[in-house]
Amino acid sequence: MAGREPGEARDESDRLVPLYVLVNGRTTPRNAALDLATQVVALPADTTVLEPEYQQILRQCREWMSIAEISAYLGRPLTVVKVLVDILLEQDYLALGSAAQQTVYDRALLETLLCGLQRL
Amino acid sequence: MERTSVKVVIAGGFGAGKTTMVGSVSEIPPLTTEEVMTEASVGVDDLAGLEEKHQTTVALDFGRITINSEVVLYLFGTPGQDRFWFMWDELAQGCVGAVVLVDTRRLPASFASIDYFERRGIPFVVAVNTFFGECSYTDDEIRAALQLNGEVPLARCDARRRGSAVEVLIGLLQHVLAKLPAPAGP
Repeated sequence: MAGREPGEARDESDRLVPLYVLVNGRTTPRNAALDLATQVVALPADTTVLEPEYQQILRQCREWMSIAEISAYLGRPLTVVKVLVDILLEQDYLALGSAAQQTVYDRALLETLLCGLQRL
Repeated sequence: MERTSVKVVIAGGFGAGKTTMVGSVSEIPPLTTEEVMTEASVGVDDLAGLEEKHQTTVALDFGRITINSEVVLYLFGTPGQDRFWFMWDELAQGCVGAVVLVDTRRLPASFASIDYFERRGIPFVVAVNTFFGECSYTDDEIRAALQLNGEVPLARCDARRRGSAVEVLIGLLQHVLAKLPAPAGP
């Protein structure tokens, strides 16, 4: 939030292509399970044909990374990053981790979390 | 290769110490992400050219704890202002549980958070942040004031201290596990 008040619009004047063109008018991800904690990782591919915005995301995702982190590091709103990630997933530039939504009743996972926290 | 992410929501009234807690347990410096909300219904009668006025940016603070190479835990602080409820649904969707941080000088500020998680059946613990000094109320007094269901764990913590904040998360995980149906068979 540095230097910007909540509610103040982001300056997009440095953009060459409006974001809505970049995402082909898509306003919500087709994969409705995409969550702000969803993990993605870049797959090996030739990215030179992609727009810089997509390349930026793929560079961030050399290691597993959440959509929220991509959004924070690139300084772009979550909604936009979700759509960009959605497109990269469809085109097999990114691989998808398990959706957080499926984990809630997973006892083994919860026990792993508990042990992990107790080790801290 | 598998990779699973898990969310915990850190809620509470404005100034209860949510961002502090996220920061003290996170292995990375806390990050801020933003969601842009377009308030289509607001100002529809305004003159054209004022579109920017209709966008509200909600800042979300979050942190991360890597549990192992396959599991990573994210902690999301809820936006402080009540008018950003729409953001809570996204945070709460699929979360393991929530911590409601309470500042005993401003108990009513935590009512909305408690109500939110109760209504949705999301497991949560209440953590009284003692950061603000000695709390002169007993647990029973706090429970009564917050009208807490007897099964909701109540803890005290110093959100600035990592160990103390981690204890709260451990308490939450234990609470969530205790609420799970018993495993079927040995």
